[in-house]
Amino acid sequence: MTSLPQWSADFGGELAAVRSLPITELRDWALGGATGGGVRVAVVDSGIDATHPRVGGVAGWATVVSDADDPEQHRVVEEPHDDLVGHGTACAGIIRTLAPDVELWSVRVLGENLRTRGTRFLAGLRWALDNGMHVANLSLSSRSDLLYGPLHAVCDDAYFMGVPLVCAANNVPGPTYPAQYSSVISVAAREGADPWALASNPHPPVEFGATGVDVDVAWAGGGSIVATGNSFAAAHVTGMVAGMLGTHPWLTPFQVKTVLQALAENATAG
Amino acid sequence: METRPDLLPAVAAVRDLFGAAAASCALVADAGDRLTFVAASGAGADRILGVELPVGRGIAGWVAMTDQAIAVRDVASDTRFARDVAEATEYVPRSVLAVPVSSGQGDMLGVLEVLDPATDLGSGWPLAVLGTCASLVGLLLDRSQGTAERLRPAELAAGLADGDFRSTQHAAEVLSAVAEHLRGRRG
Repeated sequence: MTSLPQWSADFGGELAAVRSLPITELRDWALGGATGGGVRVAVVDSGIDATHPRVGGVAGWATVVSDADDPEQHRVVEEPHDDLVGHGTACAGIIRTLAPDVELWSVRVLGENLRTRGTRFLAGLRWALDNGMHVANLSLSSRSDLLYGPLHAVCDDAYFMGVPLVCAANNVPGPTYPAQYSSVISVAAREGADPWALASNPHPPVEFGATGVDVDVAWAGGGSIVATGNSFAAAHVTGMVAGMLGTHPWLTPFQVKTVLQALAENATAG
Repeated sequence: METRPDLLPAVAAVRDLFGAAAASCALVADAGDRLTFVAASGAGADRILGVELPVGRGIAGWVAMTDQAIAVRDVASDTRFARDVAEATEYVPRSVLAVPVSSGQGDMLGVLEVLDPATDLGSGWPLAVLGTCASLVGLLLDRSQGTAERLRPAELAAGLADGDFRSTQHAAEVLSAVAEHLRGRRG
């Protein structure tokens, strides 16, 4: 029996060394003084509570709602909303901690009906790409076979548009989307208190491990709670990506992934 | 939605596995807007059975919406959760593990929850174990709906070795074996 969640097991104990580009002092180049200023971060989730003290405000909103009269069965409403379950607020609070000057955009795709969840997820991700987001946090996933193709296509579009997608892995056996795709940055939780800690996984599809065990996160109702989940690990990496994009906005998703790998504590110069 | 006594052995085994005060399984209603607790074991089990919650409420809703597992060390600071549970069961746990339950095709079916596990949540492993149990519960549900294909024992063993429980249909036997083992171990 492993001592850590499914994908986190690769980050337990002594980390295996991972060869990376021979870049010295990369951490300072990538993250030194980085605040994420000017970077638009889409939190594609259950909404964000903009009044939560850890969130520090929301720059914009989009809610994907079901609409039987619409040809695509949904429409996007760009008006303020709340957080249905607190999940998006938790992720937003973590991102703000690492990148205090980002613009947080709340893209609410999760709603009070689970049957239409997949189409809303796709539409919200598409909205983020069409509306100038620079990075998206996807601390949600699906195992639906029907969503495999459509989600894969929109994630490829994001990659070619230069928008990194940071995705939480899942703790269940079998593939989960979009964390499974090579075009995204997939993350699992690992122990530790350092929000900047990062490990590279030599055994993909999950490529990175970040802080996500017993994390003090923002919670519904303005409070906080100590929780464990890959959702929170992904949000930490999103904060790092937003930080480096603030300083180096020209970085493409594959360059971002390369920098992350070189930043990992188990990286060794090749 | 009717309760599912056929799931009780699996839920009881999960409770045993974690040395928990209670374990329960809630399923998504056909309309997709509510979760119904259909099987439960342990503290508050009688009261939680049949209880319906909107999917936008509490930890179960969080898990069902995001398809992501979560372990919460202390739910007391979440007033919404405490009220929900108090009204339903008169048992308010301190810690909660919750993972999604999906069909073999990956459709969201519900949530498997463990209340006050004896395991150390800080170690992280409980989510991996409960996630595996949830995969087996998903297979139980598939089988009850006649959607899973029957596999031979060798294929079952291969599925277990690969960790790909989605392709096995004998999950009930596996969970029963786990429960029997645990009961024997606990004397």
